Parts: sequence; structure tokens; C-alpha cells
Amino acid sequence: MDNDKAASGGELDAFVAEVREFLDAAARRREASDDDVRWGVGSDQITYFSDDPPEVESAKVAAARDWQRTRYEAGFGWITGPAEYGGRGLSSLHDIVYDTIEHEYEVPDTGVLSLIGLGMIGPTLLAHAQEQVKARYLPAMYRGDVIACQLFSEPGAGSDLASLSTKAVADGDGWLLNGQKVWTSIAHQSEVGLALCRTDPDKPKHKGITAFLVDMRAPGVDVRPLRQMSGGSEFNEVFLTDVRVPDDHRVGEVDGGWTVALTTLMNERASVGGEGNEQASRATSLPFLTAMLRANGRLDDRASRRRLAELYADIAATDYLNRQATVRLHAGVQPGPEASVSKLMYAQNLTRSAHFAAEIVGTRLLADGGEWGTFAWNELLLSTPALRILGGTEEIMKNILAERVLGLPKEPGIDTTSPFRELRRSGTGA
Amino acid sequence: MARDDAPAAVAATTTAAATTQDERDQLRAAVREFAARMAGQPEDKVWRQLTEQLGVTALAVPAGYGGDGFGFAELSVVLEELGRALTPGPFFGTVVLAGSALLCCGDEQARSRYLPGIATGQTTATLAVTEAAGRWSADGLTTLASQTDHGWTITGEKCFVIDGASAELLLVVAGTPDGAGLFAVEAAGAAGLSREPLTSLDPSRPLARITFAGVPAELIGEPGGATAVLEQVQTRATAALAAEQVGGIQACLEASTGYARERMQFGRPIGSFQAVKHKCADMYARGQLAAAAAAEAALAIDGAEGAPEAGLAAAVAHAVCSEAYMFVAAENIQVHGGIAFTWEHPAHRYFRRAKSSQLLFGGPGEYFERLLLRAGV
Repeated sequence: MDNDKAASGGELDAFVAEVREFLDAAARRREASDDDVRWGVGSDQITYFSDDPPEVESAKVAAARDWQRTRYEAGFGWITGPAEYGGRGLSSLHDIVYDTIEHEYEVPDTGVLSLIGLGMIGPTLLAHAQEQVKARYLPAMYRGDVIACQLFSEPGAGSDLASLSTKAVADGDGWLLNGQKVWTSIAHQSEVGLALCRTDPDKPKHKGITAFLVDMRAPGVDVRPLRQMSGGSEFNEVFLTDVRVPDDHRVGEVDGGWTVALTTLMNERASVGGEGNEQASRATSLPFLTAMLRANGRLDDRASRRRLAELYADIAATDYLNRQATVRLHAGVQPGPEASVSKLMYAQNLTRSAHFAAEIVGTRLLADGGEWGTFAWNELLLSTPALRILGGTEEIMKNILAERVLGLPKEPGIDTTSPFRELRRSGTGA
Repeated sequence: MARDDAPAAVAATTTAAATTQDERDQLRAAVREFAARMAGQPEDKVWRQLTEQLGVTALAVPAGYGGDGFGFAELSVVLEELGRALTPGPFFGTVVLAGSALLCCGDEQARSRYLPGIATGQTTATLAVTEAAGRWSADGLTTLASQTDHGWTITGEKCFVIDGASAELLLVVAGTPDGAGLFAVEAAGAAGLSREPLTSLDPSRPLARITFAGVPAELIGEPGGATAVLEQVQTRATAALAAEQVGGIQACLEASTGYARERMQFGRPIGSFQAVKHKCADMYARGQLAAAAAAEAALAIDGAEGAPEAGLAAAVAHAVCSEAYMFVAAENIQVHGGIAFTWEHPAHRYFRRAKSSQLLFGGPGEYFERLLLRAGV
């Protein structure tokens, strides 16, 4: 955001008072006991991906939209956004302050709107969309009326996103889209999606892509849930068959879609970071893991203690890393590519926790024998492989660290200079 | 933020003179330039110039004892740079080990007597804890102190003592009828004292065996007071070691990435191969984690707002930095290949320092368990 002017102390104090006044009236304060870890009490669910039945999921989405609307109407729906599109025009420090205070209250989880739509697509539209799209969709998105998804990955374009092949062809005063997208989170709940399409296959792969804002309810858009290895269906495949998109819904220049995508991906890195998912957070909580050892009679077992300590050392250091990054953010220092370390560590810590718990629980992990805190670990265990893939695979993250932070040379290749249609790609027989 | 049961003089350092990031950057640049200039110089010359020109021995000594009164954040900058260059000398033993023991001992007389000499660098000192069994602990001591008509005398053997053969002031942990006590022995002319330098894994950190045969000693604090003092010294010493380790990690990472950019094989820089690139990225990631842990421990000791409890943060830093440094120092050799296996190449010196640092306070078997204890598990 370019309105990141430093906030003066007095102004910030007034903002804090305003936030508290709003939250005191609109929400319940979180009790200290809400965060208590009591082994054997309450739900033993430890999930990373939500695995709710459709009616529960719909109720959660409705609650998220309601809370976003309440926030928006009180002036906290888009704290850093420009006023002409419904934003508040304040700094990212105000945004952090709001989030920190809101965390003290019991409010509906708005991740379904914020992680992708408001966190990634919103800033992208603001930077690149045409005026009528910005005026129509930005206020609606930040009011909770419109949920946006990201139509980027394809079966043939994963880590190498720029090799995507969904086609957009000019057709009268608009465009016709054909192709398939995959790993689209919340597509089935979304009103719009930001799609990257190939518009010129004769240019090198990065230079023939155009971005469009697609109406997810338009004819020809077919959303099919994708069942994950963990059992749930948080992602979708999206088939686009002769989907018509008006030219004013083109985002950025024709063949300028890669620039648009980079804006989105930059914001993705900011949002996927160390934050993680609240339901999964107890898997890396020392009191919870300690309670597990105690309940299983392993608290005095040297091998288990050693393994817990090795795990906890990294968990604590990752917390310190994130805390220091937040302090720097408060001081106005934006995170660079080094923030990828936090993502790598988050995936690694959660993965190790799940396997540690599996070792402690032992055979009781294999079938639902009814005991609290045993079979329940499976959901996390079966989700952890995805943590090392989503938002940039571990290999890609390491390439970014090595090339952009450490200055190591890129792998030599012809793929960035040759025309897209001449590249060897999966599934094309080329 | 309170540090664990801090005696008054340690608490006094929480009101340490604060520095800005700019000032710490200047300090870093000065120490880095100094360490580079002193590379390969004899140890006593390095020490003389370090104390006289840089004056960093006074940095974290409280102002009331002739020091500059800065905090752990500033001390960490110096330690990082000395660790990065593997600068030899008694800084760690004198300022960190003996300095911390004096700060934490609760004995005003001992502090007034010895800290000013440490601040100016006129006194080199160390803390002798470990014995033949190699345990950094006040339990099970075989070195014993007994009270005579003429004061205390110490009999026994200390081993693996940092700078033990050269330090002028020896702070010795010895058993008394009331538990472990801390004692001061001024080495010059001390009757019954013999010191033997040991062949060490890490020559940049000389270790010695010290034999006491009825050596006269001054009691510091109470006869049974050393256990509590050692607990606090350990917090500060492991946090200081973590800062040193971070410097060493940076040196290894820079050596590896520099070499990976320049070394040509198969017609291209080896750093363009993902196998090498990912090794470097792993080294970087572990290094970032280590740097965050060491910084957090320093913030905690300085009582910074929002920082965790110092004992816990130091235990995290000690474990994370020890593991990270060993990993990075070993990978550094692999990135370089055969050249790094030669004696002339500096890589083995970092490998040696990484292992010696990891084992200095008992090693993984001790520090992981201590981490759980400090976390209340």
C-alpha cells in the first residue's frame, strides 16, 4: 500500500480506542480459559484443512460474510484500502493493530474471505483492474458480499505457473475462455475468480498471458470438488468451457498477465507465512504435547523427551522469528523473500509434530478405538504433505531463497526465451 | 521483565544504556574491521589491541564497575563478529564466563575487586566448573574447598577449562560442606597450583587441566551459593555462545555461497545446480532460525518488552544455534568439496569450533533436557 505513512502516537491511540469501542459492542471478549489446553476435554479434532459437512460449511461462510459486513460498516473492513473503494486509507500498522486487538475477542473466522479474496485478489485488482471493475467489486468484496478465488494452477502448470495453457481468445467485445484450473480453494463458495489465460502462444511463456476477472456463476464455469488425500474437499477443479468475459473484466494489459500474477503471488507469500491455522496450532503447543506425553505415561521416557525437546526447540525459534518479523513490520520494514523461511519451518514443525504424536499414540492411530486424542491425529497427519507443497513447493521456496537472497545463479534454460508453443509440456505429448 | 531471581547488580544492567540500530551497526563494522585486520596475528597482540583500541571488554560491564553499562544486545554484536572471524583470545572466558559469574554472584566486594580489571582488559579470567567427567554442573564435584585458620584452600582437579592455562584470575566452583561454592584464585604465584594446556579439538578455544593442591582461595558469596550462580551464568553464557555461533554460521554461509557462485564445473557455476542451491538454502534457513533464537535470548536478558523468560530463551538459543552451526559447518565442507578437506582451508576451523561450541556446556544430551526443564516440562 502506498499510504503507509507513519502513524503518530496520538492518532494511533485514538484508533485503538475506536477499535475497542467497536469490538466491545459487537463481540465477546475471549476468556483466558478459551486457550487452555486440557487433555481429554472438549473436541479432540486437530485439523489443518476443514472437513465440515456442506451444511456446516455453508453456515460458517454465512457467519464469515456477516462479520465482514459488520466490520466494514464500522470502518474496519479494509483498513489499508483507499476511501474511493470503501477503504479506510490507513497504514498497515493500523491493520496489524486491529488484528491484534480483534484476536482478544471471540469472532467468526473470516479466512474464507480474507486469505485469498481480500488478502491476495483485492490488492491485485486495486493495482491492475479497470476502473469499472474496481468500483463494482472492491467495495462488495470487502463488505463480504463477493468472495473471490484464484484460478491460477493447472494440471500442467504447478510450480511452473507461467506454463499455463488455459486459452483466452478475443471474441467481439470480449473474450472466450477454455481450459482447466485445479487446486482452486473455495471456488464453490466464490462469486468471482481471477483467471490467468494464454493469449499468445507464439510469445515466450511469461509474455503471452492475460488476467481476467471471471464471474463464477457464468455459463460454462463448472466447479467440481477435488477430494484430498486427507479425505475432505477444500479444493476444486474448475472447468472453463466457452466462458464469455467482457473486455472491461480484463485485468492489466493484454499479454501483461504475468505482472498481475506477481502482485497476487507477492501477497500470497505475505498471507501463507507463519500464521497458520488456529485449529492446527495446538499440535505445536508445548502444553498440549506435554499433556499428550503425560496421558500416555511417556513423560519420563528419555527418548520421548528428547524428541519433544528437539521439536520444541524449532517451534520456539520459529515463534521468535515470527515475533521479530512482526516487530520489524511495526517499524515499517516489509518482509522480503526471507519470509519463506517461516513457511518452510511451519510446514516442517507441523509435520514433525504429527509424526511425533503418531509415535506416542502408536497402534491406536490405526483405527478409531474411541479413545480421546488418538485416532484424531490422522487428520493432521494426512494433511501435512500438503503444507510442503501449497503456496510454493519446498523446492521452489529454496530456489527463491538461494537466488534472491543468496544471489546464486539461475539454472540455465530455454524456457523463458522460446515461444510457448515450442516448449515441452506435460500432457501435450510434445 | 525480571530475569530469574536476579541479584541487585544484575538487575542494574537491565537499565543498561540503550543503543540505536545505527550505533550497533557501527559497532559491528568496527569489530569486523578489527577482526579482519588481526587475522593471523599473535593472540596477545590481538588481545592488547582489542582492549586498548576497541575497548569492548568494558561494553557490558555495569558503569559502577568501570564499564560502559551496555546490554546483551551490544555484547552480542561483538561476540558475533569474533565468532565470525574465529578471533582467538580470552574474550569469552574473561567477559562472558568470569564476568557473568561476578555479575551474578551477589558479592559486592568481589565485584568491586575484579570487574574493573575485566572492564579495562588488564585482567584475563575464566570460570572453572568442569572436571574429568566433563560435566558443566555444581553437582558431584571432586574439587573441594576447606576452611583453615588462614582462610579457604582448594584441592582437586579441574579439566576442560577455557583459557585455563593462561587466565590470571581463576573463578573456581568447588564443593564445601554447605554445597558448591564459588572461589577466586589469582594464579600469579599461587602455591600448589599447576596448569597444563590440553591438546584441543578446537585450537581457537584453548582448554586446560588445572590441579589444585591446597591452593589458597577467596570465597565469593556464600559457601553453598554456586549452584544458583551457575544457573544464571549458564543463561548468559549460552546466550553469548549463541551469538558467537550465529557469527560462525554467517561466515560458513558466505563462504559457501561465494564459492558456489564462482566455482565452475560442467561449464557453469556449481551454485546454479539445484542440489547445491538447496544445500545453501537449507544452511540459510537454519541460520535465520539460529539468528532469531540468539537475538531473542539477548532481548530476553536485556528485559525487552514482549520477550520470553531469559532462561527459556537462552535454552532455546543454545539448542537451536548449536545444531544449526554444526549443520552449516559440515555442509560448508560439502559445498566446497575436496578443497575444504585441506588443512590450509579455513572450513575445518569452523567445523572444529562448531563441535566444540556444541559440547562446551554438556552437549545435546544435556541441552535438550535442560530446555524441557526450563520450559516447565
